Amino acid sequence: MNATAFYFESSMAQESTEIARGLRRRDPDLLDRLIEQYQHRLLRYLVYLTGRRDLAEDLFQETWIRVLERGHQFNERYAFSTWLFAVARNLAIDHMRRKQPSSLDGLLNDDEAPLDVPATGQASAFDVTLRREQNEHIAAGMQHLPAEYREALVLRFQEGMSLEEIASVARVPLGTVKSRIYRGLSALEPWLKGAPL
Amino acid sequence: MNTIMNNDAHERARNLIAWAGPEALSSADRAWLAAHVETCASCRTFAENAVATIHALRAIPIAAERSLVSTTQMKVRRRALELQSQRERFWLVSVSCTAVTLCALLSTFALWRGFAWVGARAQLAPSIWQVGFLVFCVTPALVAGVLLLLRGTHLADRTGSYEG
Repeated sequence: MNATAFYFESSMAQESTEIARGLRRRDPDLLDRLIEQYQHRLLRYLVYLTGRRDLAEDLFQETWIRVLERGHQFNERYAFSTWLFAVARNLAIDHMRRKQPSSLDGLLNDDEAPLDVPATGQASAFDVTLRREQNEHIAAGMQHLPAEYREALVLRFQEGMSLEEIASVARVPLGTVKSRIYRGLSALEPWLKGAPL
Repeated sequence: MNTIMNNDAHERARNLIAWAGPEALSSADRAWLAAHVETCASCRTFAENAVATIHALRAIPIAAERSLVSTTQMKVRRRALELQSQRERFWLVSVSCTAVTLCALLSTFALWRGFAWVGARAQLAPSIWQVGFLVFCVTPALVAGVLLLLRGTHLADRTGSYEG
């Protein structure tokens, strides 16, 4: 068990080192591979962070340009995904500051359409319908959460990041991350059954 | 006291559910949580809702389209090329600046020695050949500046013509 954990840790460290080396060289082939590898995770994070698909796609492209330009700043001691999400987050905040001087709070916009929830895969009727409804409710609920809560929930439960990694991405203390996750989950509870009155 | 302990237990249970996610608990925590949830209806509901919420969150498919990925890759490659040519230009400019600086230092030193030698041969006071050296060095820049001012280059529009 320990040997397996050690193997995974050392292979992750080796991967980070290779990425850091490639980023310092601005290796376009490495960047192509990273874009392929992190495409869905990064876009999902940005969609939830901004609440807007079009803005998320713009930021997605900007993020990779920034990764190319600032690649030498990546510290190989950390996971690449943590640094990538931090870069994306900073760009999202910069974007909001250009529009209005604020923090992530500015990313919450009630006037925007709720997140698109494409149909889920095939299964049997009632359960699928129920689940799809729940997914839609939760997606709508996410749209009404403060951006900080959305971010914490997505990083924790969709990206599977540890609490420490989330704290590193969001640059907040661990306690704040815990509180955001707890409050975010609590705030989504009423949305499971539909929009709260 | 009992109420406080109960509140602590509820808080601990809900935090365990929220922070770790119900699937990622240590065996001791899981056992404790299972025992607590068995007897506490509100925490049980919270756990069920948390599980449903997390499943719903994970089930929402947001995928990047192929066109977005390929456009991004293209932009990144283009930017990489720009940065590379910028770096090459910067390197070229740096080398040129260094070479020009070295040449200027050497020629200034040689000129200084030359003026000193001419001054000594002509038995001039040092201040005179030094002023001559200064005029010799500054004159080309002054002449070029005056010519440019006369041509009005600094006021010219983009086509190079001077109007008004």
